[in-house]
Amino acid sequence: MGSDMLAMILAGGRGSRLHELTNRVAKPAVYYGGKYRIIDFPLSNCANSGIDVVGVLTQYESVQLNSYVAAGTRWGLDTKNSGVFVLTPREKADSGLDVYRGTADAISQNIDFIDSYDPEYLLVLSGDHIYKMNYDKMLEFHKQHNADATIAVIGVPMKEASRFGIMNTDGNGRIVEFEEKPKKPKSNLASMGIYIFNWKLMRKMLIKDMKDPESSHDFGKDFIPVMLNEGRTLCAWEFKGYWKDVGTIDSLWEANMDLLDDKNQLNLNDPTWRIYTEDAAVLPQYIGPEAKIKRAYITQGVEVEGSVTNSVLFTNARVGAGAKVIDSVLMPGVVVEDGATVTRALVADNVRIGKGAVVGKKNSENILLVAEDVKGKEG
Amino acid sequence: MANKAFGIITSAGGNFHVEGLHDYRPIGAFSFLGRYRVIDFPISNMSNSDIDQIQVYVSSRPRSIAEHIGTGRHYNINSKRGKLQLLFTQISNPNSIYNNNIAGFLENYEIIERMHLPYVVIAPSYMVYKQDYGKLLDTHMDSGADITLLYHRVNDARDAFIGCSVLNLNKQKGVLSITPNMGTSKEKNIFMDTYIMSKELFLDLVKQARMLSSVYTLADIVSAKASELDVRGIAHKGVFAAISSLNDYYNANLDLLDRDKADDLFRSNWPIYTRTTNACPTKYFDTADVKKSMIANGCVIEGVVENSIIGRDVRIRKGAVIKNSIVLAYAEVGEGVRIENTVVDKWAKIKNVKEIVGDPTHPDYVKRSDNI
Repeated sequence: MGSDMLAMILAGGRGSRLHELTNRVAKPAVYYGGKYRIIDFPLSNCANSGIDVVGVLTQYESVQLNSYVAAGTRWGLDTKNSGVFVLTPREKADSGLDVYRGTADAISQNIDFIDSYDPEYLLVLSGDHIYKMNYDKMLEFHKQHNADATIAVIGVPMKEASRFGIMNTDGNGRIVEFEEKPKKPKSNLASMGIYIFNWKLMRKMLIKDMKDPESSHDFGKDFIPVMLNEGRTLCAWEFKGYWKDVGTIDSLWEANMDLLDDKNQLNLNDPTWRIYTEDAAVLPQYIGPEAKIKRAYITQGVEVEGSVTNSVLFTNARVGAGAKVIDSVLMPGVVVEDGATVTRALVADNVRIGKGAVVGKKNSENILLVAEDVKGKEG
Repeated sequence: MANKAFGIITSAGGNFHVEGLHDYRPIGAFSFLGRYRVIDFPISNMSNSDIDQIQVYVSSRPRSIAEHIGTGRHYNINSKRGKLQLLFTQISNPNSIYNNNIAGFLENYEIIERMHLPYVVIAPSYMVYKQDYGKLLDTHMDSGADITLLYHRVNDARDAFIGCSVLNLNKQKGVLSITPNMGTSKEKNIFMDTYIMSKELFLDLVKQARMLSSVYTLADIVSAKASELDVRGIAHKGVFAAISSLNDYYNANLDLLDRDKADDLFRSNWPIYTRTTNACPTKYFDTADVKKSMIANGCVIEGVVENSIIGRDVRIRKGAVIKNSIVLAYAEVGEGVRIENTVVDKWAKIKNVKEIVGDPTHPDYVKRSDNI
């Protein structure tokens, strides 16, 4: 018997701040951590928390994302009555084809899907964060507090609080006020974009929200403030642990680099909380006779003949003889040919850096995204 | 191919004994190159050859094989049309002369009879090689032979392949007999325990073997019938290893650190499938120094590794040095420990003894879950 909670992942649009990385794939399918994709995290968290049914809401049809999540077996979401479903806007009998007008609207447009599972609770997640969380613990808290909605929050440095949606709470964890990016924050508890709702109440409120011409149909801007105004019980559940937004090239690079930190809190090899992903039929990593590897995170299928320093290498990446990879992230299938140098770069999947080419600079302000093949030096 | 032949994977006979490792599991379940198990090779060969009805015979200690192959989904075997069956013999003593492959086939005779495909491909679970059985079946059918056997010409049969069989061939590659390799000369045609024949002939041979002798193996009956039947040998080219001793196991692994050999065995159009453990990537620290090695996922490496194979989730602490060795999954090599020419079995912890150095021609073996 699984959970009486169904999960919906807001996988969003094209993720334009990730530039060329999302030209071919939707943001949740972007690679992370050597062998994973971003969406492996919420999906594995769901599977490990005993949630059986997960909907993935995307604005655009994405063949790759669709075929990726369709194999629910990867995350163990493959028992009877369980599964992962990509839900794009679709035409319905009583309305035309609408795009999702906002995060809340994406849920509203799939009320029929959710109803078919008749859940007690709905878990709403965002698809662009790296973290490990037991949603079942959050549900326990939600039930104990008889809440109408529970929002997961994380303490952020006060200096940075004005970049987040901030929850102001009373002494008992009840949310009294929600401020989106406040100039003068009163608390440092930032919303993680993870919500649990009582489905019956939420369903009623979503139908009302759909018809409201003033609403932009967004959880943060509309839905949560309405709940607060109506005097509903909203609680904040504080999460402690690693949590990282990977919405930009710099933050995606940083999140990968965090894995090299000796004090890194994100343990990806905890046998009780594995992160599952697609399996690759590839050899173990092969390290050549002249290779030099210092501080690196390397996965199977990788071949290193040259030198790798402070870098993360994804499945089937190859570093040729005499090549140097420094402070960089090489996504799956990247080839750094003999004698080439890559510094402070994030190299997109299957890109080839030609012989002797030099890419990236040591003290660059931003991380260089390399999304197209780089020609080698002639001669 | 898919509708012409089914597959049978046999386990090693009682004449094989691999020091140490063999005490815990059948050879098919031995870890190979840190990521695979030996049985992944025959099953992947069959799966890649579109054979999706496969029977795996286990003669003793089935747990590790049963756990590893499961439903066969990870071998890309169709979940509806295909089938991967584990079959057992009731004789539990692995060293009994009665515990031979004919006994296993007889006990499961009806199951074999019910297979609706006209041919059978038989391959062993204790040998490592790449072979397209589809091509082999075509050759077999075109030749009109009754039985086709696969062999590999080797030049080290004096020291290796002890316990394996030898094909004695005439000039036309006709098989005269199959005899044990006694290590009498260097050059031998080592029989790869791989057969192709019709299902009908196979079942007939199984019955005849039992009538002649209750200790006969399939190779014995084929050898006995070699003068009556058209039995032919086909030479296999490429990487070939028989895991018939600890030395052979050790050499088969370390030989594949040669890139050309590894590239020959592992082709992108011929994937070798295995069960994933969902281990995360491997972390190399500042103090790591790794050269000419294969490293599986989930490891933490702070020490020196040279010309070695490191299995999944292995920890190699600061100042540890591992040379010419195989360290199996979940083992831990403590600070300042030096290991050379050694096979370290799963879950072993080496902390207090600071040096284990085996002979390069005869590696040391550290037991499973041992504390040293």
